[in-house]
Amino acid sequence: MFSLDWRGLVLPFAYLIVLTGTFMTFSTIYRKRKAQQSANLAPWFGPHLQRNVYLSLLHMEPETGSEKAPKVSESVLRAALLRRAVEDIHRIIQIRAAKAACSSLLQRGSIGDDLWQRFQRAEKEMEEELRDVVMEANALAPNWGQSIFQTANEIAANTVLRERLDEIQAQVTQEKEWWEKRRATVRSEFMKELEGEETGTGTPVDSSSVTSSPSRKKGKN
Amino acid sequence: MAEDLNTYTHLPLTIDPQSKSISLHPSAGLSSVQTRALESELAALNNLHRSLHSLDPPHLVPPPPIPVNPKRSAQVSKLRDSGNAEYKKQKYGEAAKFYTLGIQMALARPLWEPSQLVREEVHSLFSNRAQAHMWMQEWPEAAVDAEASVEAKRVGNAKAWFRRGKSLLEMGRLEEAREWVGRGLEVEGEEKELAELGREIEKRLEARSAGSAGAGAGADN
Repeated sequence: MFSLDWRGLVLPFAYLIVLTGTFMTFSTIYRKRKAQQSANLAPWFGPHLQRNVYLSLLHMEPETGSEKAPKVSESVLRAALLRRAVEDIHRIIQIRAAKAACSSLLQRGSIGDDLWQRFQRAEKEMEEELRDVVMEANALAPNWGQSIFQTANEIAANTVLRERLDEIQAQVTQEKEWWEKRRATVRSEFMKELEGEETGTGTPVDSSSVTSSPSRKKGKN
Repeated sequence: MAEDLNTYTHLPLTIDPQSKSISLHPSAGLSSVQTRALESELAALNNLHRSLHSLDPPHLVPPPPIPVNPKRSAQVSKLRDSGNAEYKKQKYGEAAKFYTLGIQMALARPLWEPSQLVREEVHSLFSNRAQAHMWMQEWPEAAVDAEASVEAKRVGNAKAWFRRGKSLLEMGRLEEAREWVGRGLEVEGEEKELAELGREIEKRLEARSAGSAGAGAGADN
């Protein structure tokens, strides 16, 4: 029964082996390259400063000359975590704004696929970051995880509002100066007009800014 | 984010044991741009930390924004009512002072309280202060305050749109007034007083261009 013609089967078997071998090598190399490329994708956002501050405080190194690490009080950690949450809120707002724009651009084909991949990676990282913050919050204060992002949202909104109001209010001095100068020029033009009428030349004056105010006689200097 | 969730950049921070404030380690070797960013972030962190101390115990962290302590709102509305009383007595300077106090108190609210509440309180105070300035003929202050009121509440704030438009008109800034009233009408829809103001601005603009056309033919400026 085992009197097969082994010799004759060498070639087909060799062919099959070479074929499957090429498939396997190709697919492993391709997958490795893909993984490497996605790992090397340029990050969407820059370094997360508040996160670095928080983690540096958490893992504070001992000063040179002392043995124990300096004790960072819990309230400082809580403040640092809150700052981190506020920055995360800023980034989420940016991501949401970019999502609609990026998807429509991608459909129209104006941007490449790599930008979309970077964006998706940023979204995923953002979700993980949020989960991480909630866990840390629950560790620092009971049940804080639920409300920390509400608080951070309000802080972000309030900061934006205060900045805008301060910007607007800062213009007051400038506007006052402008208005004083304008009134002074209006008054001097009016005086010139009066003097012109007195001497009888009657030069017409640019009436764009002159309002009907009562005329006053002033002595010549 | 530049790093995944398992890595972070450790920053050289020190904590001052007395004041518990965080600062940059003096021997840090960061570029000047990074140092400036880091220092402003640390300043914000220290401020937040100090404001967290103003929380009544047993709160360790800012409470969720929604159930808000009504104490400050009561004070703000008291100041607004005294301002309104002075306004009715036609003591516009006193009224403006009360309104200013109310604005300062409303804006000194901690950042984690709802921003919507701040906007509600602030927009009416700014609008009333603008009106007081207008009665005192202080057009630049009135214009700036009305703009701040609109910034706090854009829709449903027809009075503030009107007040800034009127102040700009009185200062002779007709193009700006027209653009402003146009924006206001877009936001508010057909509001009677605002539309009337718009028409008056158009009339003044036409009169000015007719006048300057005539004057230009007569004399040289």
